[in-house]
Amino acid sequence: MPSKEQVLRLLSQGRDYEEIAGILGVPAGQAYLIATGIPADGGDTVTRGRPGVLPSRSQRLVNPREINPTGRGDVHRWVRRRAWGDPQMQAAADAGEKR
Amino acid sequence: MNPPAGIGSWPVLRQLTGPDRLGRAAAVKSRGSASLEARTATADRVVKSICPYCAVGCAQNVYVRDEKVVHVEGDPDSPVSRGRLCPKGAATLQFTTGSGRMHKVLYRAPYAADWQELDLGTAMDMVADRIIATRRETWEWEVDGKRTARTMGIASLGGATLDNEENYLIKKLLTGLGVVQIENQARVCHSSTVVGLGTSFGRGGATTFMQDLQHSDCIIIEGSNFAEAHPVGFQWVMEAKARGATVIHVDPRFTRTSALADLHVPIRAGTDVAFLGGIINHVLANDLYFREFVVNYTNAATIVGEDFRDTEDLDGLFSGFDPDNRGYDTDTWQYEGMTVVAASGKRDEEYDRRTRHGSSISSAGRGEMHGSGGAALEGTPRRDETMEDPRCVLQILKRHYARYTPEMVERICGIPRELFAEVCRHLVENSGPERTAEFVYAVGWTQHSDGSQFIRAACVLQLLLGNMGRPGGGIQALRGHASIQGSSDIPTLFNLLPGYIPMPHAHAHETLGDFLRADATHKGFWAEMNSYMVSLLKAWWGPAARPDNDFCFDHLPRLTGSHSTYDTVMAQLEGTCKGYLLLGENPAVGSANARMQRFGMANLDWLVVRDFSLIESATWWKDGPEIRTGELRTADIATEVFFLPAAAHTEKSGSFTNTNRMLQWHHAAVEPDGDARSDLWFMYHLGRIIRERLAGSTDPMDAAVLDLTWDYPVEGSVAEPVAEAVLAEINGWDADGTPLSKYTQLKGDGSTACGCWIYCGVYADGVNQAARRKPAGEQNWIAAEWAWAWPDNRRLLYNRASARPDGRPWSERKKLVWWDEEKGEWTGYDVPDFERTKRPDYRPPEDATGVEALSGIDPFIMQADGKGWLYAPAGVIDGPMPTHYEPQDSPVPNPLYGRQRNPARMVYPHEHNRYNPSGDEPGASVYPYVITTYRLTEHFTAGGMSRNTPYLAELQPEPFCEVSPELAAERGLEHGGWATIVTARNAVEARVLVTQRMAPLRADGQVVHQIGLPFHWGPNGLSAGDAANELSSIALDPNSHIQEVKAFSADIRPGRRPRGPALPALVAEYRRRAGVTERTGTEV
Repeated sequence: MPSKEQVLRLLSQGRDYEEIAGILGVPAGQAYLIATGIPADGGDTVTRGRPGVLPSRSQRLVNPREINPTGRGDVHRWVRRRAWGDPQMQAAADAGEKR
Repeated sequence: MNPPAGIGSWPVLRQLTGPDRLGRAAAVKSRGSASLEARTATADRVVKSICPYCAVGCAQNVYVRDEKVVHVEGDPDSPVSRGRLCPKGAATLQFTTGSGRMHKVLYRAPYAADWQELDLGTAMDMVADRIIATRRETWEWEVDGKRTARTMGIASLGGATLDNEENYLIKKLLTGLGVVQIENQARVCHSSTVVGLGTSFGRGGATTFMQDLQHSDCIIIEGSNFAEAHPVGFQWVMEAKARGATVIHVDPRFTRTSALADLHVPIRAGTDVAFLGGIINHVLANDLYFREFVVNYTNAATIVGEDFRDTEDLDGLFSGFDPDNRGYDTDTWQYEGMTVVAASGKRDEEYDRRTRHGSSISSAGRGEMHGSGGAALEGTPRRDETMEDPRCVLQILKRHYARYTPEMVERICGIPRELFAEVCRHLVENSGPERTAEFVYAVGWTQHSDGSQFIRAACVLQLLLGNMGRPGGGIQALRGHASIQGSSDIPTLFNLLPGYIPMPHAHAHETLGDFLRADATHKGFWAEMNSYMVSLLKAWWGPAARPDNDFCFDHLPRLTGSHSTYDTVMAQLEGTCKGYLLLGENPAVGSANARMQRFGMANLDWLVVRDFSLIESATWWKDGPEIRTGELRTADIATEVFFLPAAAHTEKSGSFTNTNRMLQWHHAAVEPDGDARSDLWFMYHLGRIIRERLAGSTDPMDAAVLDLTWDYPVEGSVAEPVAEAVLAEINGWDADGTPLSKYTQLKGDGSTACGCWIYCGVYADGVNQAARRKPAGEQNWIAAEWAWAWPDNRRLLYNRASARPDGRPWSERKKLVWWDEEKGEWTGYDVPDFERTKRPDYRPPEDATGVEALSGIDPFIMQADGKGWLYAPAGVIDGPMPTHYEPQDSPVPNPLYGRQRNPARMVYPHEHNRYNPSGDEPGASVYPYVITTYRLTEHFTAGGMSRNTPYLAELQPEPFCEVSPELAAERGLEHGGWATIVTARNAVEARVLVTQRMAPLRADGQVVHQIGLPFHWGPNGLSAGDAANELSSIALDPNSHIQEVKAFSADIRPGRRPRGPALPALVAEYRRRAGVTERTGTEV
């Protein structure tokens, strides 16, 4: 098992946890736990003033691919079709611009 | 590391030869353990979601492997929950993937003894045919010569557990079909909140947010068991406590919340107005109010008309009471020289004066239109800035509460004077420029026959103490379902359109212009109601909505009075309501007078139940309580029943609005199994099928549903509607098809469409703002980039009041929003709840209207006068100031007035809804104890989402009642034994839990014993038992139409209840002894 000093030394060299994981042969989240004493999945809310602690999003070190889309092109196209397909809406907008 | 095979795998050899010499780790790890892998590590993807239970809105990570959900846990990035889940949230995996769910459609034919399976397509066709037929059979164009254009033959109930997008389609489709009886759990849960907060401040939602509790110096939790019912949110109370705040819990029981509070104050259930009134009196009588805040930001200085008479003058009545109509004419309550549109009750006389048209039928349920926008005002009120004029609001308030002394509080509430004094001291010491106090409440306040006034009382107090709009202050309304705030905002409620626009009432010749003239205020943001209304009509009816047809305003069915869920039950019993859709709600357990709910359903032609499992509302015809007593026979019940299994939140995308007005998106992780579908799917395809059936019809009654915009894109193997498209419609767009960013962009000329104006901005820039997940660790406590809150992503409402009249913060310690003179704008930590560039010293010209009429010191921008209302000249039907009345059923006489109960409450005399005699009425001693109902952490509301989940059922396996040792001794109850509890409605049994946490109280010289009864149980499921709502009656708050289930009287006796016909015989025998008649408890 790698030691805390090993992980912190690699961090101080500017490597991130994914690289350290590859070097030491342990999962990235385990390297994080070794270095900081805090689980990477965020399951333990503790004070963050320790060497090696990431400001946030440490859960990405242990989670698989994350799904959280915030916009869909097909919806944007649908919205435009709805708006453009409303003659009264178009006429009202034109009249408003002329005022 | 896998241990070696063979002899080398022996632990002792590994210990001696390996690095683990103490034999505590690697040496003793078994092959089985070594082969285990975390489900999170082997998942294919993690999908961002939100817990479907309570309204805290804890974020969840949903892990998927091979298209199956394999794990659910908290998301640590959430600023609200910080990764935590309560037992319910932690059981989500079992709830969504376990054996407790149904996945097949079931059908019960008329008079049939059992279910049969049915394929989903056939079921959808049959339901569509029933709706079309019933609608045609019961269609009504007018009532008493007034256009209604509706059907009273169909009703729906649910869903606060559904997504906003689902509620939107429910309201849109059913309204287009002419259905007005559309309701959901919000009616029975927090409708009083909308009225109480809305009339006081201009918006009917929680004024603050969960994380802000940490900034409070004193938190009073009352009418809520916060730690029990919103456990993860309670962490913020503990944060405040860790920073030195005082936590006070006022509750009939000593609960999990009390155990963590600094002070527990036992109170007699239903007497909170007396308690809060006592504090108000203490503050006013001792001049302890925050004067500068009060004179500038409230209506304390406003002069009331000289015809106003208080309850002190009329022994418990305000002026204007009409006993024949059981309601008030509010003319005498008005400000001097002004007209305020009465938001509820006798509105029509007002309407006539304003529009000069013909009269119409009575209106109802209009108090909730103040969910966003206070009552309309005409004219400018006169003010006395010294607040000495005897007719100014402050002096009227003083006189109204003068007899709410500590002695009276002790007499009514059972709270010793010393304890009351301590509460007052903590509250007052922690209010002012440097310190703030916060009230937190839930249904212990709302569910009363004067529930709206409970909340109004807290509003008055917080305004007097200057705690509104400030960090650590305000009023936290703890709503109870994942999206019950959303189901009020959107809403699936009979009396509202999205954004708290009122549903139109039947009037002769009413046009859109008449409607707006009658309802829109001329000052403040509500003056733009034309823009909000027209944009809604454009969203619903698209190209068909044009100026020449009033934008399809006549496609809206009209109300003719109250059509709340309880009125629907009466209509079912009468036979006029023939079809019912239950969408994730279980009235046979969760609504007042459960027995009456079932009798109503037994009179239906057809019933559609959509839920996860066979809830009591789906099976009452087969083995419900009335089948067991013999009062109903399965073979005699004609009701056709369809059970359609529902998709879980992990199987659909959509947004929930939590209790702090925050919309959070949850993504579908997988598709639902079998026939389970989302309610979005159900409503969309139901609408599609109905429109296909009616296509080409020239019957005018079909125009509204055929003109609806109903072209949502679908995707996936089950043709699921794209929820984000519905969200985009709710948000709105302009003629270019550009999503709008702010509701101030809305226009009344038809050039914008918007399905819900208060949600405008949730899809700004074409980005699903509700899906934003910037971690808490990267933001301040407000976390403005996590999800999106209405209005305009403001998190703490009325925050202009966090600054002095001149724009400087009240104090450095409590700064939130302030005026930046150099930049000429309001700035700070939150989005200013004020026009950004309006100077604090701006004073409007006399003829100003709309937003221009609001001055620089009007923080309550949705109120017509911009002020917080200590006194409500309109908006609440039963009084401009909260007044103590006893609950509908109470063993204690009202010591304050000759009036026992709220004179304006709504009563429903019916053989299944008899009331108990109360106070010193003959027979009251037959029901001498007070019942209060409540939640447990491990179960959820009417139990449909917890009683079939093994983990949760195991944690709380059966119903119980909590009694004090004194009551146990008095009635011979044994701890762990059985008890039967009886009211004039029904009798139930429960295990007895004898505990000192239920302390007897002395009220008005008599000892009052209280009995605690959790309300989650019904006869179905792994954890089963009698429903508490068998005991409750239907007696409603006249503003919100909410029932009184937090305080009613009963008897308790040892032993199990009778079975079969002996059960109704026992109830009848009690009624005879008590002398209960059809008139008992119905007097004004």
